[in-house]
Amino acid sequence: MRKSRGGGEEEAPRQNGATGRRRGSQLQSDGVDGDSAIGPSDLQDDENDMGLRREIRSKYRDLISSVQQNREDMLSPSNNKLTDVLEHANRLFKDVRQTREAALDAQLLVVATDLGKEKASQLFAEGNAFDTATFAEHLLSFMGLNRLEDEEDEQQNERGADGYLPQDAWHRLARRTECCFRTAPTFHYMMGSFHAEPPPPKQRIERQRKVPSAEAKRIMPTQLKKMEESHQEATEKEVERILGYLKSYHQDDPTSPISYYEFVIDPNSFSRTVENIFHTSFLIRDGLARMYLDSDELPCIAPIEEEEEVAAAESSNRKQCIVSISPKTWKELIDVFEITDTMIQPATAEDE
Amino acid sequence: MTNRKRLSSTQTPSQSRDEDDDPTFTQPSTSQVQRGLERLSTAQVDQRAAEVVQYILMKDQKKVPVRRTDLVKHVVKDYRNIYPEIMKRAARSFDQVFGLKLVEIDTKNHMYILINKLEYTEAASSISSPTNPKRALLFVILSVVFMKGGVVRENLIWNTLKKLRVDPGEKHEEFGDVKKLVTDEFVRQRYLEYVRIPHTEPIEYEFHWGQRADAEVSRAKILQFMGQLHEQDPQSWTQQYREAHSSPSSAQPSTSSQR
Repeated sequence: MRKSRGGGEEEAPRQNGATGRRRGSQLQSDGVDGDSAIGPSDLQDDENDMGLRREIRSKYRDLISSVQQNREDMLSPSNNKLTDVLEHANRLFKDVRQTREAALDAQLLVVATDLGKEKASQLFAEGNAFDTATFAEHLLSFMGLNRLEDEEDEQQNERGADGYLPQDAWHRLARRTECCFRTAPTFHYMMGSFHAEPPPPKQRIERQRKVPSAEAKRIMPTQLKKMEESHQEATEKEVERILGYLKSYHQDDPTSPISYYEFVIDPNSFSRTVENIFHTSFLIRDGLARMYLDSDELPCIAPIEEEEEVAAAESSNRKQCIVSISPKTWKELIDVFEITDTMIQPATAEDE
Repeated sequence: MTNRKRLSSTQTPSQSRDEDDDPTFTQPSTSQVQRGLERLSTAQVDQRAAEVVQYILMKDQKKVPVRRTDLVKHVVKDYRNIYPEIMKRAARSFDQVFGLKLVEIDTKNHMYILINKLEYTEAASSISSPTNPKRALLFVILSVVFMKGGVVRENLIWNTLKKLRVDPGEKHEEFGDVKKLVTDEFVRQRYLEYVRIPHTEPIEYEFHWGQRADAEVSRAKILQFMGQLHEQDPQSWTQQYREAHSSPSSAQPSTSSQR
């Protein structure tokens, strides 16, 4: 209420006099506003004014919804409900001052006009008008409605509150109305002893089987791709890790060459040796390390310094070689080089 | 014309406007049918016609109209060039063997239904099938629409049904989901048309008679029953009486396939 007061002051100062006067007369005439206290001050007037506006709006809305809900009843020629509604609306309209109320009034007019149109169409119907309420009553009687109360309670009856329909009510009506239909009797095997339905489900099962397999096929490649990606990442990490080892060994003693086999071989695991060879090959390929033969014609490995890097990458005439290793040669190499410990710590061990 | 010949089909003028919506099938011409028939034995054609009869009988169990597209796709197949002849024989067989009439209710979308050719008799009905209560519900709706001049807002129907202790919002012990039965099943069977009324807020629908009802349901008989219920002379509903007895479509549905 307090919020609206501000709005009311802005909107309706000019109406103050009029509303005040009007309310006074209304109180006398029909007492609509009877329970809302009327103060003498202007401020109070404004507040009450908003209250009145609200009341008018809500009454309009009630009226509109009641017309919409009771449409069928209002249509029936036997009552004057539409006139009542219009009169009621006229009474409300006396107090309409603002656009919103006027819009509601217009809306009610639309609804009422629609009703009027339908009523008019009833007039046009030649001869006997057809009333669905009467029709329904006759049908209920035909279907054997057992009326608990007498005709006095017809209104209650219409709401479907009481009256008891026998079990076969609709069957009874169906039997009587069958003659109106020229429906072909439906075809059935042996009066329905055979049902002609079984085959379809089998097909469905086959289809369902096919669908997941197709989906699985679709999923497989994506899975593989993901594995490859993650594998790629793992490889990159591993390569960098090995480069780190290589550089640190090189820094420890830049003058002595690092034997390739000593660097790569893990005496405890053949498979890790193979992995190391694999990862080291990336270092060579990317120009981060170089291999050369020392005076004993044994392969050595050394990291390429950053200044060298660019030049090496540009001027390198690529050479390829294949390193092969088998468990047998691996063991021989361990013996020959007398390798007792791995230079590249396994990744998991390092993590811990 | 050359175009059509390339597609190996020509159309009779009367049907040409109907063919656009059915790309899988074009109505063969009389001469084509003639040529097609020359290549086949009578037994072959009769066999295919018998299959059509069986297919339609099976389809009719659900009372949903049979579409020509389905008929051609599932049964007529490679005999589509003599489709008119096959339908003619099927219709003859329905007529003479089963006492049914094959009616094309929708000449645009080519849908067929079966209706009973024989007059209703008390004795026959008790044998043929147990009474169907849904039929009574349908009757109520159809008669309200008819008595109200052919179009009725859905609200009036629901209100009338409520008075008959059938609430579209509740599950009915006899009809189940009433709203679905009325607005879906009856509509698919083409007993009713459920059409949106333009420019209404909130959205409202209205009911008309469907094509199957036009072919299958007798307005005159409905009016007769109305008279009995209201204890009035049917003729007192002047307009409805005129409509029931003048429109040939309701009394005698035209058959397309037999001509």
